[in-house]
Amino acid sequence: MPYTRVHAEVQEYDVFARKTRVEPLHQVGSVVAPDDNLAMAYARATYDEERWVEMMIVPKAAIISLWAPGGDT
Amino acid sequence: MRYAEWCIAAPTLEADIAAAAMGLDDIGHSRVLYGSLRELGTPDAGTDDGASYANVPFLDRPWTDWSEFVAANAVLDSAFTLMMEALANGNVDVLRTRLKKMLQEERYHTLHGRSWMQEVNAGAALERAWTESLQWIGPENSDVDELHRAGRLAHGVRDLRRLLGERLDGKTPPSGLEWGGWEPIRRRTQPGGIDQATLDMLRGLAEKRYMPAGG
Repeated sequence: MPYTRVHAEVQEYDVFARKTRVEPLHQVGSVVAPDDNLAMAYARATYDEERWVEMMIVPKAAIISLWAPGGDT
Repeated sequence: MRYAEWCIAAPTLEADIAAAAMGLDDIGHSRVLYGSLRELGTPDAGTDDGASYANVPFLDRPWTDWSEFVAANAVLDSAFTLMMEALANGNVDVLRTRLKKMLQEERYHTLHGRSWMQEVNAGAALERAWTESLQWIGPENSDVDELHRAGRLAHGVRDLRRLLGERLDGKTPPSGLEWGGWEPIRRRTQPGGIDQATLDMLRGLAEKRYMPAGG
């Protein structure tokens, strides 16, 4: 889905985090930004309310979907 | 405080949230720094009137354009962070231990400021913020260089100026710094000070309106 924003080009990043070393990373949300650095700043500002031991972001475009709700199986 | 004023006025929702988060970070950093100063035997600075309140002129009035936010974020915040790094790597134990979390948080302020600096032409605001940052660091052979020689600061004035330039992607620094009228306590050359409404909020007077009579 294209975004109409103030930036010439942006992309969506999924944000993953976990609270303890023994639990797996899970998606906590997403951010939209024109570059990786701003995406990191936005992810930390938006989702830092919990005491995460790890947080990472992944460009949504880098995720390869095998199947999804509503798609052909 | 100025960051927080943009928490519903930035160009994107994400930038709104970042403005609020960075404002909260910096309030926390102020508390850490004041606590450290108390521990080092320095009494709280007086904030009862605008004239004694120490802030760079860039923060005197609310910003009216996003480019001013970007300039403050990219330049002033970087200058403050460099000074914090110099303190954290100096020989004062209290500061070596207390400032680490602050520097971790400031990393994200730097990322935010630098990215927006690429997105926005902050020209005049950037130059003004840079000039005021250099004035805030101070002239060579003054207190900052003395503290550096004593080991309390890991960097002297020249290093801080150079490192600030590097943080700003090698942009050309402002030339012809004027030191006439420089105040060593407030670390600025311009007269004036923070606006009364902001000063009242900083002193907690805005909240007092909601206190019960006699409270």
